[in-house]
Amino acid sequence: MLVLSRKLNQAIMIGDDVRIVVVAVDRDTVKLGIEAPRTIPVHRSEVYEEIQRTNRAAAGETDQPPGEGAKVADLGGKGRKPAAKD
Amino acid sequence: MEFADREIALDLPRFGACTYRESEVIAFPWGLPGFATLHRFVALSLEGQQKFVWLQSLDDLSIALPTADPWQIFDDYAPQLPPYAVSSLDLGRPEDFVTLCVVVVSPGAAEMTMNLLAPVVINLQTRTGRQVTLETGGYSVRTPIPRKAPSPAGA
Repeated sequence: MLVLSRKLNQAIMIGDDVRIVVVAVDRDTVKLGIEAPRTIPVHRSEVYEEIQRTNRAAAGETDQPPGEGAKVADLGGKGRKPAAKD
Repeated sequence: MEFADREIALDLPRFGACTYRESEVIAFPWGLPGFATLHRFVALSLEGQQKFVWLQSLDDLSIALPTADPWQIFDDYAPQLPPYAVSSLDLGRPEDFVTLCVVVVSPGAAEMTMNLLAPVVINLQTRTGRQVTLETGGYSVRTPIPRKAPSPAGA
Protein backbone atom coordinates (compact mmCIF):
# COMPACT_ATOMS: atom_id res chain seq x y z
CA MET A 1 0.00 0.00 0.00
CA LEU A 2 1.21 3.45 -0.90
CA VAL A 3 1.36 5.65 2.20
CA LEU A 4 1.50 9.43 1.85
CA SER A 5 1.63 12.13 4.52
CA ARG A 6 -0.59 15.16 3.92
CA LYS A 7 -1.20 18.32 5.91
CA LEU A 8 -4.46 20.20 6.25
CA ASN A 9 -5.74 21.41 2.85
CA GLN A 10 -3.21 19.32 0.96
CA ALA A 11 -4.52 16.84 -1.56
CA ILE A 12 -3.67 13.76 -3.54
CA MET A 13 -4.63 12.98 -7.10
CA ILE A 14 -5.72 9.51 -8.19
CA GLY A 15 -5.44 9.34 -11.92
CA ASP A 16 -6.35 12.48 -13.79
CA ASP A 17 -9.76 13.14 -12.38
CA VAL A 18 -10.00 12.06 -8.74
CA ARG A 19 -8.79 14.53 -6.12
CA ILE A 20 -8.91 13.91 -2.38
CA VAL A 21 -8.21 16.82 -0.06
CA VAL A 22 -7.78 16.89 3.72
CA VAL A 23 -10.50 19.32 4.82
CA ALA A 24 -10.22 19.04 8.59
CA VAL A 25 -8.37 17.08 11.26
CA ASP A 26 -9.82 16.76 14.74
CA ARG A 27 -8.23 14.28 17.16
CA ASP A 28 -8.77 10.85 15.55
CA THR A 29 -11.14 12.04 12.83
CA VAL A 30 -9.99 13.19 9.42
CA LYS A 31 -12.50 14.91 7.17
CA LEU A 32 -11.82 14.34 3.49
CA GLY A 33 -13.19 16.13 0.48
CA ILE A 34 -13.49 14.04 -2.65
CA GLU A 35 -13.75 15.41 -6.15
CA ALA A 36 -14.51 12.65 -8.62
CA PRO A 37 -16.51 12.30 -11.83
CA ARG A 38 -20.12 11.45 -11.13
CA THR A 39 -19.62 8.22 -13.02
CA ILE A 40 -17.42 6.90 -10.19
CA PRO A 41 -19.17 5.51 -7.10
CA VAL A 42 -17.72 6.82 -3.82
CA HIS A 43 -18.72 5.17 -0.56
CA ARG A 44 -17.44 4.57 2.94
CA SER A 45 -15.68 1.21 3.01
CA GLU A 46 -17.81 -0.17 5.82
CA VAL A 47 -20.95 0.27 3.70
CA TYR A 48 -19.41 -1.73 0.88
CA GLU A 49 -18.13 -4.37 3.30
CA GLU A 50 -21.60 -4.71 4.81
CA ILE A 51 -23.05 -5.31 1.33
CA GLN A 52 -20.32 -7.90 0.71
CA ARG A 53 -21.21 -9.70 3.93
CA THR A 54 -24.90 -9.59 3.15
CA ASN A 55 -24.38 -11.03 -0.33
CA ARG A 56 -22.24 -13.84 1.07
CA ALA A 57 -24.87 -14.57 3.71
CA ALA A 58 -27.59 -14.59 1.05
CA ALA A 59 -25.64 -17.07 -1.06
CA GLY A 60 -24.79 -19.21 1.95
CA GLU A 61 -26.39 -22.41 2.93
CA THR A 62 -29.78 -22.12 4.50
CA ASP A 63 -32.15 -24.70 5.88
CA GLN A 64 -34.46 -24.02 3.02
CA PRO A 65 -35.25 -26.94 0.80
CA PRO A 66 -33.02 -26.67 -2.25
CA GLY A 67 -35.91 -26.13 -4.58
CA GLU A 68 -36.77 -27.80 -7.82
CA GLY A 69 -38.04 -27.01 -11.25
CA ALA A 70 -35.55 -24.21 -11.85
CA LYS A 71 -36.09 -22.33 -15.06
CA VAL A 72 -35.04 -18.98 -16.41
CA ALA A 73 -37.16 -16.25 -14.84
CA ASP A 74 -39.17 -13.85 -16.94
CA LEU A 75 -37.92 -10.45 -15.79
CA GLY A 76 -39.75 -8.41 -18.39
CA GLY A 77 -42.05 -5.79 -16.96
CA LYS A 78 -41.42 -6.95 -13.44
CA GLY A 79 -42.00 -4.51 -10.64
CA ARG A 80 -41.87 -0.78 -10.45
CA LYS A 81 -38.95 1.40 -11.35
CA PRO A 82 -36.67 3.60 -9.32
CA ALA A 83 -36.22 7.22 -10.25
CA ALA A 84 -32.92 8.44 -11.62
CA LYS A 85 -31.31 10.98 -9.35
CA ASP A 86 -29.99 14.20 -10.88
CA MET B 1 -29.80 -16.36 -40.59
CA GLU B 2 -30.19 -18.48 -37.55
CA PHE B 3 -28.66 -17.07 -34.41
CA ALA B 4 -26.75 -19.72 -32.53
CA ASP B 5 -28.72 -19.57 -29.32
CA ARG B 6 -28.81 -23.17 -28.30
CA GLU B 7 -30.17 -24.40 -25.03
CA ILE B 8 -27.40 -25.12 -22.58
CA ALA B 9 -27.97 -27.72 -19.89
CA LEU B 10 -26.71 -27.30 -16.34
CA ASP B 11 -26.64 -29.54 -13.32
CA LEU B 12 -26.77 -27.07 -10.45
CA PRO B 13 -25.60 -28.07 -6.96
CA ARG B 14 -28.56 -26.26 -5.46
CA PHE B 15 -31.36 -26.69 -7.94
CA GLY B 16 -30.48 -29.69 -10.06
CA ALA B 17 -31.14 -29.81 -13.78
CA CYS B 18 -31.80 -26.56 -15.59
CA THR B 19 -31.42 -25.16 -19.08
CA TYR B 20 -30.75 -21.65 -20.31
CA ARG B 21 -29.89 -19.89 -23.53
CA GLU B 22 -26.89 -17.68 -24.15
CA SER B 23 -29.29 -14.79 -24.86
CA GLU B 24 -30.65 -15.13 -21.33
CA VAL B 25 -27.30 -14.59 -19.62
CA ILE B 26 -26.96 -11.37 -17.61
CA ALA B 27 -23.49 -9.82 -17.54
CA PHE B 28 -22.25 -8.25 -14.31
CA PRO B 29 -19.07 -6.49 -15.51
CA TRP B 30 -18.34 -5.22 -11.99
CA GLY B 31 -19.16 -8.53 -10.34
CA LEU B 32 -21.20 -8.36 -7.15
CA PRO B 33 -19.83 -7.11 -3.82
CA GLY B 34 -18.37 -10.21 -2.18
CA PHE B 35 -18.24 -11.98 -5.54
CA ALA B 36 -16.12 -9.62 -7.59
CA THR B 37 -14.86 -12.33 -9.93
CA LEU B 38 -18.31 -13.62 -10.95
CA HIS B 39 -19.46 -11.89 -14.11
CA ARG B 40 -22.12 -14.10 -15.69
CA PHE B 41 -25.47 -14.95 -14.13
CA VAL B 42 -28.85 -16.27 -15.12
CA ALA B 43 -32.04 -15.30 -13.31
CA LEU B 44 -33.93 -18.41 -12.25
CA SER B 45 -37.34 -19.00 -10.75
CA LEU B 46 -38.27 -22.16 -8.90
CA GLU B 47 -41.48 -24.10 -8.84
CA GLY B 48 -43.61 -22.95 -5.92
CA GLN B 49 -41.36 -19.96 -5.22
CA GLN B 50 -42.55 -17.65 -7.92
CA LYS B 51 -41.76 -14.46 -6.04
CA PHE B 52 -38.08 -15.27 -5.64
CA VAL B 53 -35.64 -14.65 -8.45
CA TRP B 54 -32.38 -16.50 -7.94
CA LEU B 55 -29.27 -14.95 -9.44
CA GLN B 56 -27.37 -18.09 -10.35
CA SER B 57 -23.68 -17.64 -11.15
CA LEU B 58 -22.46 -19.38 -14.29
CA ASP B 59 -18.83 -18.88 -13.29
CA ASP B 60 -19.27 -20.70 -9.97
CA LEU B 61 -22.32 -22.94 -10.01
CA SER B 62 -22.29 -23.23 -6.22
CA ILE B 63 -23.21 -19.55 -5.90
CA ALA B 64 -26.83 -18.41 -6.15
CA LEU B 65 -28.36 -15.37 -4.47
CA PRO B 66 -32.07 -15.10 -3.75
CA THR B 67 -33.59 -11.78 -4.75
CA ALA B 68 -37.09 -10.42 -5.04
CA ASP B 69 -38.99 -7.46 -6.40
CA PRO B 70 -38.82 -5.04 -3.44
CA TRP B 71 -42.24 -3.53 -4.20
CA GLN B 72 -44.09 -6.73 -3.46
CA ILE B 73 -43.13 -6.16 0.18
CA PHE B 74 -42.18 -2.50 0.59
CA ASP B 75 -44.81 -0.58 -1.29
CA ASP B 76 -43.29 2.82 -0.53
CA TYR B 77 -39.72 1.90 -1.56
CA ALA B 78 -38.42 4.83 -3.61
CA PRO B 79 -34.78 4.31 -4.59
CA GLN B 80 -33.02 7.18 -6.34
CA LEU B 81 -30.36 5.77 -8.62
CA PRO B 82 -27.09 7.69 -8.43
CA PRO B 83 -25.62 9.11 -11.66
CA TYR B 84 -22.90 6.45 -11.87
CA ALA B 85 -25.54 3.74 -12.03
CA VAL B 86 -27.59 5.47 -14.70
CA SER B 87 -24.56 6.09 -16.90
CA SER B 88 -22.77 2.79 -16.39
CA LEU B 89 -25.92 0.75 -17.06
CA ASP B 90 -27.11 3.08 -19.83
CA LEU B 91 -30.53 3.27 -18.21
CA GLY B 92 -33.07 4.85 -20.49
CA ARG B 93 -36.70 3.91 -20.65
CA PRO B 94 -38.04 2.58 -17.33
CA GLU B 95 -39.48 -0.50 -19.05
CA ASP B 96 -35.98 -1.49 -20.15
CA PHE B 97 -34.70 -2.29 -16.69
CA VAL B 98 -35.67 -4.24 -13.62
CA THR B 99 -34.85 -3.82 -9.93
CA LEU B 100 -34.30 -6.74 -7.58
CA CYS B 101 -33.16 -6.75 -3.95
CA VAL B 102 -31.05 -9.46 -2.31
CA VAL B 103 -32.85 -11.45 0.37
CA VAL B 104 -31.09 -13.05 3.32
CA VAL B 105 -32.91 -15.99 4.84
CA SER B 106 -31.73 -16.79 8.34
CA PRO B 107 -31.09 -20.42 9.32
CA GLY B 108 -34.41 -22.12 9.84
CA ALA B 109 -36.06 -19.37 7.79
CA ALA B 110 -36.97 -17.73 11.10
CA GLU B 111 -36.26 -14.31 9.71
CA MET B 112 -35.84 -12.76 6.31
CA THR B 113 -34.22 -9.46 5.49
CA MET B 114 -33.96 -7.52 2.26
CA ASN B 115 -31.12 -5.30 1.09
CA LEU B 116 -32.89 -2.08 0.20
CA LEU B 117 -29.67 -0.05 0.34
CA ALA B 118 -28.08 -1.81 -2.63
CA PRO B 119 -30.62 -2.94 -5.23
CA VAL B 120 -29.51 -5.02 -8.19
CA VAL B 121 -30.45 -3.12 -11.34
CA ILE B 122 -30.53 -5.00 -14.64
CA ASN B 123 -30.80 -3.41 -18.07
CA LEU B 124 -32.93 -5.91 -19.97
CA GLN B 125 -31.95 -4.53 -23.36
CA THR B 126 -28.21 -4.86 -22.89
CA ARG B 127 -28.62 -7.70 -20.35
CA THR B 128 -26.16 -5.98 -18.06
CA GLY B 129 -26.55 -5.72 -14.30
CA ARG B 130 -24.95 -4.00 -11.36
CA GLN B 131 -25.58 -3.87 -7.64
CA VAL B 132 -25.98 -0.18 -6.93
CA THR B 133 -25.37 1.46 -3.55
CA LEU B 134 -27.95 4.20 -3.01
CA GLU B 135 -26.69 7.51 -1.70
CA THR B 136 -29.99 8.75 -0.35
CA GLY B 137 -33.11 7.40 1.32
CA GLY B 138 -31.56 5.99 4.48
CA TYR B 139 -32.25 2.40 3.47
CA SER B 140 -30.77 -0.54 5.36
CA VAL B 141 -28.72 -3.46 4.08
CA ARG B 142 -30.80 -5.80 6.23
CA THR B 143 -34.34 -4.49 6.33
CA PRO B 144 -36.51 -7.05 8.17
CA ILE B 145 -39.30 -8.41 6.03
CA PRO B 146 -42.42 -8.10 8.18
CA ARG B 147 -43.95 -11.45 9.02
CA LYS B 148 -47.35 -10.33 7.87
CA ALA B 149 -46.04 -9.25 4.50
CA PRO B 150 -46.46 -11.61 1.58
CA SER B 151 -43.34 -13.72 1.75
CA PRO B 152 -41.20 -13.80 -1.38
CA ALA B 153 -40.99 -17.53 -0.87
CA GLY B 154 -44.70 -17.73 -1.59
CA ALA B 155 -47.07 -19.72 0.52
